[in-house]
Amino acid sequence: MKTESHFAFFDEGSKKEIRRAILKAVAIPGYQVPFASREMPIARGWGTGGLQITLSIIGKTDVLKVIDQGADESVNAVSIKKLVNSTTGVKLVERTQDASIIQSRHRIPEVPLTEDQILVLQVPQPEPLRKVEAREYITKILHSEDDYSGAWLMLFEQIMKYGKTSTGADHPVYVNNRYVMAPSPIPRFDNPKMHQSDALILLGAGREKKIYAVPPYTDVKSLAFDDYPFSVESFAGKHCHLCGATEVFMDELIDTETSETIYQCNDTSYCMDRLNENEEAEVKGNYV
Amino acid sequence: MAIDQVHDLQLVFRKLLHSMSHPGSISSFPEMADRVDFDLSCSDTTLLCAMALLDAEVTFHILSKDNQNLIGKIAEYTLAKYAPIQEADFVIVLQDDKESDILNAMDQCKIGNLINPQQSSTWIIENTRLSNDGVLKLTGPGIKSHAHLETGFPSVLWYSRNERTKEYPLGIDLIFTDNDGQLVCVPRTTTVEITEVK
Repeated sequence: MKTESHFAFFDEGSKKEIRRAILKAVAIPGYQVPFASREMPIARGWGTGGLQITLSIIGKTDVLKVIDQGADESVNAVSIKKLVNSTTGVKLVERTQDASIIQSRHRIPEVPLTEDQILVLQVPQPEPLRKVEAREYITKILHSEDDYSGAWLMLFEQIMKYGKTSTGADHPVYVNNRYVMAPSPIPRFDNPKMHQSDALILLGAGREKKIYAVPPYTDVKSLAFDDYPFSVESFAGKHCHLCGATEVFMDELIDTETSETIYQCNDTSYCMDRLNENEEAEVKGNYV
Repeated sequence: MAIDQVHDLQLVFRKLLHSMSHPGSISSFPEMADRVDFDLSCSDTTLLCAMALLDAEVTFHILSKDNQNLIGKIAEYTLAKYAPIQEADFVIVLQDDKESDILNAMDQCKIGNLINPQQSSTWIIENTRLSNDGVLKLTGPGIKSHAHLETGFPSVLWYSRNERTKEYPLGIDLIFTDNDGQLVCVPRTTTVEITEVK
């Protein structure tokens, strides 16, 4: 049996509640606004927070792109895209420049976002202090008192143990000089993209029932010590084996034939765009 | 033609979201405001904002006591409950409300607490004119360098608003509406300076 679903899956009451939480989140950058996370047709922890934001803001004229770890075609991205498309009928795209809403998990696209775009990030653990304090009530007090010694201590312990901060992803940031925020598990490489971003960034944690935001042109500073400055993953001297790109976030792969280590753009639509451009240039070079 | 509760209100929300994340930037939906066929003592833009944000889970307050008709209508259309100023989630200020009443309300309204700064009031304020050509200089998150704004909101009220938003993250978020389907937002993070010259 197939029933017609309401536009954007949600009933209007749910949308209103999430919309109010989003507006509050924008007004208090980096602060986690609690909301009544809805039961979704995908499991909690698989992007329900991001999905609920996307469904609440999307309209008929929007153009949607969904990525998962930089890829447009991985399972999580495809199922979310299909759900949104079948309940709203919006256009789906892969090129970052063509989208008005970009929902993402674990990456911010390589192509700089514009003022007319909204980036929605899926967040598994919105609380940057959770590792040092298990009780939600206490972490709320710590946030209210601007007491982030726990987050600093975490980085300090990493330096003691490994000689450097060892956050693989989700390196905590100070937003608007007030709240410490988990930027979602994006690599450190993407943290600077949040600082003074042209696009609005909305973050949703469905399982943890929190929505927070970074408005455009807002200061976002990665936590770091004076003698151990913040650094991003370095890909110096490496290039994408498909499109030849440098200075982008790359995946490390093993060539199955030669057993050599090779690198490839993590952002698939960026890589595809470059390949298409290269091919066009080649064709022109050959036949003109 | 009436208002489409799904798609029109989604658009109103997106305009609100754009203006809230770009304080001082005026959003408009004139075509939709023309379609509003309710005959109420508030502007069409105000009514659309109320319909986009209010439901049975929140409360609202209207300053003037002789507006029982409007209070009743908003409660009926949105299912939101009327509450005294100290408890209201949304405060609706109409064009003919007196300055002294607004000042009083601003002193008493909710600004949240440090543990739950989101439990603050959002103001929907009716205005005659909105333009980016005014003496207010806005800076803060969402604004690239600075923005100028004219709201018709007297400076004494801006001083009072600045007083209430002093202890960030506590504060109130303002939505200004006019008669032509335009709106502009000033969230608590925005620093508002009253300058003499542009």
